[in-house]
Amino acid sequence: MTKTEQKPKRSFAEWVTFTIASFILAIIVSLVVYTWLNEKNQPPIISVSKKETIREINGQFYVPFEVANTGGGTAESVQIIAELVIDGEVAESGEQQIDFLSSRETEEGAFVFSQNPSKGKLNLRIGSYKLP
Amino acid sequence: MVVRPYRFGNFHRKQIFTTKESQGVATKRHKNIWKSEINDIIRGACGGFLFGIPLLYTMEVWWIGSLAKPQLMMMAIALMFIVVFLLNQTEGFRKRRYTWEAQQAAMDTVEAMAIGIICSTFVLLLLRELTLETSLRESLGKIIFESVPFTLGVALANQFLGDTRNGNGDEETIPGKYDKAKKNESEIDATLADIGATLIGAIVVAFNIAPTDEITMLAAAASPLWELAIIAASLLISYSIVFQAGFSDQRKRRQQKGIFQRPSSETIVSYLVSLVAGAFMLWFFQKLTFSDPWTMWLDHTLMLGLPATIGGAAGRLAI
Repeated sequence: MTKTEQKPKRSFAEWVTFTIASFILAIIVSLVVYTWLNEKNQPPIISVSKKETIREINGQFYVPFEVANTGGGTAESVQIIAELVIDGEVAESGEQQIDFLSSRETEEGAFVFSQNPSKGKLNLRIGSYKLP
Repeated sequence: MVVRPYRFGNFHRKQIFTTKESQGVATKRHKNIWKSEINDIIRGACGGFLFGIPLLYTMEVWWIGSLAKPQLMMMAIALMFIVVFLLNQTEGFRKRRYTWEAQQAAMDTVEAMAIGIICSTFVLLLLRELTLETSLRESLGKIIFESVPFTLGVALANQFLGDTRNGNGDEETIPGKYDKAKKNESEIDATLADIGATLIGAIVVAFNIAPTDEITMLAAAASPLWELAIIAASLLISYSIVFQAGFSDQRKRRQQKGIFQRPSSETIVSYLVSLVAGAFMLWFFQKLTFSDPWTMWLDHTLMLGLPATIGGAAGRLAI
């Protein structure tokens, strides 16, 4: 390279891309700062709810559920337990595990029963979780 | 499941054509500032893809991102800046180097990080690891931690595959302008060499990814529309690496003889070769068996096709 080429000014195009790039980086950094400032120092608060109507296909009853973490931290290995109580006895039960549930995240799934859940009482609850 | 050893050192070989073109280029430069700037960015992005793709297919990195605290994210950004700044002092993704000024290297670093962030966000969206439901903090963590290898790749772009188009990229030769007398005798050989190089590159990159669980996970999350998007992205990235990014031997690529030597057909054929290689690797590692439905073969292969075709593109540049 010659000497004149060694001290080129940044071209207009390079300035434009630099401006866009610093804008993108600034957005990312400010979002991180935003989450930092808004960080709730509270443990996970996990709730599970039946999502929609129960489907019956080929004699099996599909119960969709939604699990949400409204607390601060991330929960790992969230265990969801479903129990179908008919005539005061647990007729069927199911279990599901969600690997990661971070703050304000929701996950969906379904339990499958062979008996009609509307004949008895269906209990959905969170069994346990661990902190990462 | 594992972070794989990954090297492209052998690819940055012959740096031919460098000296001849540097004259007469300075005068044309300001005419094509936009073209050269876009070429620089594409080169950076391609370097990012070459280096970053294996880690994008690593679920542990997604998890680390999901769990990262904002303090850790800031630290990651700061460390990324320092490392990339040091790399930009000596290398970088630009054809022109600003090694004499720390300020210029710092500006290039900002750009490299922006390219890394955009590209990793794009692939995370493509792989459905980022969706509209993902929480802000988790998205940020995933993007930042995945953009680290991407940004390093951007900063090493010239190092990976060398830089030949020292000028503004307007000296591309027209494909098919090669000597017609020699055409017939070496056409088959050249085609075979291309396919071989694609296969080698695809195997180098995709062999690391094929036996892991990520392909199964990603394939499960992909809908047909996303699979079409992945095909489009695979073709686009492969084309950019070989014909747009100005890596070494690109000019030779355009003069390369062979049956499929138009850039578009070469890109498509090498994508198909990469898909076949990917399917074979998935079968080899028993991720796919012959009793599996064809839809499973299709979505698994398309998922592995993206890294495989990027490897294949790098492989073709290396021959």
